[in-house]
Amino acid sequence: MVSKSKVLPKGISAAEFDKAVRELRAIVGDEHVLVDEEKLAPYRKIMMPVSEAQHELSASVMPDGVEQIQRVMKVANKYRVPVYPISTGKNLGYGSAAPVQRGQIVMDLRRMNRIIEVDAELCTALVEPGVTYQQLYDYLQEHKLPLWFSCPAPSAIAGPVGNMVDRGVGYTPYGEHFMFSCGMEVVLADGQVLRTGMGAMENSNTWQVFKWGYGPTLDGIFTQSNFGVVTKMGMWLMPAPPDFRPFCIQYPNETDITKIVEALRPLRIAMVIPNAVVIAHTLWEAPCTPVKRADYHTGPGAISDEAVKKIQADHNIGAWNVYAGLYGTKETNDANWKIIEAVAAGTGGKIITQEASKGSKALEYRFDLMKGKPNLGEFGLYNWRGGGGSIWFAPVSQAKGAETLKQMQMAKTILAKYGFDYVGEFIVGWRDMHHVIDLLYDRSKPEEMEKAYACYDELLHTFAKEGYGMYRANTAFAEKVAATYGPVKRDVEKRLKKALDPNNIIAPGRCGISL
Amino acid sequence: MYARRLAVCLGSVATLVVAGGAQAAWRDGGEVYDKVCRYCHEANVGPVLKGRALPTEYIQRVVRMGNRAMPAFRPSEIDDATLADVARRVSGSAAVAQE
Ligand SMILES: Cc1cc2nc3c(=O)[nH]c(=O)nc-3n(C[C@H](O)[C@H](O)[C@H](O)COP(=O)(O)OP(=O)(O)OC[C@H]3O[C@@H](n4cnc5c(N)ncnc54)[C@H](O)[C@@H]3O)c2cc1C
Repeated sequence: MVSKSKVLPKGISAAEFDKAVRELRAIVGDEHVLVDEEKLAPYRKIMMPVSEAQHELSASVMPDGVEQIQRVMKVANKYRVPVYPISTGKNLGYGSAAPVQRGQIVMDLRRMNRIIEVDAELCTALVEPGVTYQQLYDYLQEHKLPLWFSCPAPSAIAGPVGNMVDRGVGYTPYGEHFMFSCGMEVVLADGQVLRTGMGAMENSNTWQVFKWGYGPTLDGIFTQSNFGVVTKMGMWLMPAPPDFRPFCIQYPNETDITKIVEALRPLRIAMVIPNAVVIAHTLWEAPCTPVKRADYHTGPGAISDEAVKKIQADHNIGAWNVYAGLYGTKETNDANWKIIEAVAAGTGGKIITQEASKGSKALEYRFDLMKGKPNLGEFGLYNWRGGGGSIWFAPVSQAKGAETLKQMQMAKTILAKYGFDYVGEFIVGWRDMHHVIDLLYDRSKPEEMEKAYACYDELLHTFAKEGYGMYRANTAFAEKVAATYGPVKRDVEKRLKKALDPNNIIAPGRCGISL
Repeated sequence: MYARRLAVCLGSVATLVVAGGAQAAWRDGGEVYDKVCRYCHEANVGPVLKGRALPTEYIQRVVRMGNRAMPAFRPSEIDDATLADVARRVSGSAAVAQE
């Protein structure tokens, strides 16, 4: 059997590759190894502004189970072929399902989609990598379990393991997903199976309830890294509150971001507002409402501030739109609601309640996300510029008004220089904010792709100069982003890589880590 | 008060540990449409597909290749047979009633 794949892992001959593929087929079954170019098409689709060739895979292997993964590791070590694990593979705008480097074999874990356990008393779940948020949602509904989880916007098609492993975020009080994970199972490059935390003890029943275990806590090194293949993850679920009150507060001016952040931070830190608050700019809300860009701006260049003002007026969208919720009983929410009303009144914000939200698709999908109800409403973003190009620029900011305004202005200026709009939001952790900007461009136009690449590059380096680092980054910029974090951290990562994966077979290059 | 209400709300299931463990599979193409496609294609995000008699091969191709911002879907997510069923249903469906 001759390989039909034109793409090969670096330094591997076609003959050796064929041998490796044959061994992989023997492990997972013929139909679960793909090498035909046509069959691999879904893995090639990316939104980043680089050519598909740069991230083209050589094959896909789809194991079902830990034991198969252990055997795949053996083959990878034997032939020195790198494998790039994905879970649900919907890392859209961060690299999608394509590997970080050309020629890697994607290890697609989507078939491993078992919800292994849900403990309704302790409010925990143990899931495999292929489980989607939609699947988990349906499962909880079906079993009439009043438990909520936190999910990212592409929730219907993405999943908790892949999202957590890339340290993604969601919108309920459990929005910082890694923080609310508890216990992992990891297949290491040498085939050993590590269970983190309490899971390391054979007969422990506390794996999903106590994160730390004894000695160093290792979970963190398996996120945004390539030290192992995560095959199970524990996660905490939230009891559905008797009363949930989502709301939006709209503000009229772009510079209002300062007072918004100053007013909200104390409420967030004190957990009066318990969830990951979002402060979304007009141009994030507009496409999801939906509003058409062409109705307000034609021709090249970024949309003008006047046009943005007009959108706000025409469609009842704020310059900033704050999304948050109260999660409690009627009594506690009534009490806290008074605080929210006072804060909105004191800062010149207009409150929109659930009842008043009808008719806006943007408000609808946000309110659903704040209770962990899957949807894909945020994909409306891509109708703004069209052409399917997207790359997330996502620096971390202190939750301080002056800082957020400074970051917003810096980003807006650089984006405009390249003709792109500021489509941004701040997702409030406790003391930090993820400043997430969707750099939208038309991927069907080579010149726009080049500009988008150059724009991200300038954003990255300008922000780094000011001491602002990324919370997460796409695979095309992994190396450059890693470089902004300095040499010592990278050296330690390299030493860990050498110790855990001396043949450099798990996702070399991911987050800039390679031998 | 809060604790009591919560206890009431979880009371009926309090002893339940659900051990699933079975591999999930799509029931049919209709379920895929409802749980994936519909979120965009009946929500002003992507174009409406129903009632247009779109060719089945075209639907299957777009699902596998993606199209501009529409993500591509792998066989590990939607197997070929189920995808064919999705395409058949969408292609043969009546138009979606306007809200
Ligand atoms: C419109 C839109 C809105 C978005 N909103 C959000 C949002 O609100 N929050 C957010 O966090 N993201 C968001 N994203 C980005 C992204 O789509 C999600 O984070 C998504 O959850 C990631 O894809 P996934 O869950 O399928 O993970 P995967 O793609 O499966 O995994 C992500 C990466 O983690 C690594 N990995 C995955 N599984 C394993 C494993 N088992 N072992 C070792 N390494 C592994 C791989 O490097 C992989 O590429 C958004 C994207 C779009 C297009």
